[in-house]
Amino acid sequence: MAARETNPSFMNGVPELLILKLLQQDEMYGYEIVQAIRGRTGAVIAIGEGVVYPVLHGLERDGALRTRRKKVNGRSRIYYSVTPTGSRRLAELSRTWVSLTTAIQAMLMGAQYGDAIP
Amino acid sequence: MATQFHELRERLLRAGVAPRHVRRYLGELADHLADLTKEEQRAGRNLIEARSAALVRLGKTEDLARAFLEQRQFQSWSARAPWVMFGFAPLICLGAAYLLACLYLWCGWEFFLSGADTPFGTLVAPTNSLANMYFQAGKFFYYSAPVLVGWTIGIVAVRQRIDAVWPTVGLVLISWMGATARIQAGRTAVPRGLGHISMDFFILGSPSQTISQSMLTTFVIFTLAILPYLVWRLRRAFVGL
Repeated sequence: MAARETNPSFMNGVPELLILKLLQQDEMYGYEIVQAIRGRTGAVIAIGEGVVYPVLHGLERDGALRTRRKKVNGRSRIYYSVTPTGSRRLAELSRTWVSLTTAIQAMLMGAQYGDAIP
Repeated sequence: MATQFHELRERLLRAGVAPRHVRRYLGELADHLADLTKEEQRAGRNLIEARSAALVRLGKTEDLARAFLEQRQFQSWSARAPWVMFGFAPLICLGAAYLLACLYLWCGWEFFLSGADTPFGTLVAPTNSLANMYFQAGKFFYYSAPVLVGWTIGIVAVRQRIDAVWPTVGLVLISWMGATARIQAGRTAVPRGLGHISMDFFILGSPSQTISQSMLTTFVIFTLAILPYLVWRLRRAFVGL
């Protein structure tokens, strides 16, 4: 299977944002998180799946996530959920992301109009 | 732990990531790999193909290592401040061990030799007496403390794949401290008082030990203390781990 390459310079902060958004709704373990990202973004955002763990560990270390071990089908899994600090961080990241995408979209639309002007 | 993560583990440890973070990361990766393999098998692949596809989806060793190493907060203290872990901390530990030894000596002095001016050379008791066993145990602890601290340095260095320089510095320091440790105890300053125990370190040569004797003792302690680390290095050299 050929893994889709995602431009890393455009991905800075994106996994963090998506993870916090997902975990705000429900607690999940790593595999579930990756599958949820894949499913909800229509596989547009595809990263090496193992790369999600350093992000999770970093968020936990910053106090944005908490973990608990849970036995599921005889296997001990680490479930992640968002803390109040994580919720605040999500709100900040969301605002930044929305303003960024709005600005980029405005620029792209402007370029289109500019191209159309003779 | 899955053998395919051996290379990743070595890279992370050598880059200074704390072993507990490495263990957790690899544990979660192994679980993730198992889930991916099952998913691929459900999609109709045989086990070998499923495993291979799962490994591709999980990510290359290089990417997995880089992603973790970018999180600088997972670096161990041995990587961030080796001079603390291998220079300062062992000396503090050995000092604490000697403090315990002094306390132990003082307790024995008060309990078994309450009338004596000093606990040294005043015990007249059969070899199998409780007093004799008590003081022999204290002596054993006192003399083995630098070696035990040295073994701890070796184990930390082995677990975290530390290069030889800092562990060697730590071992030299604790060997020197151990070889030059002198303990004095007396009650003469305050007759029938609580007694006074003091220690001094790092002075090569004293009325009871010449410089060459101190250096020889330093060498003996160093040799004993470095053994576990040396065995590990030799094992790696020969087995190619």
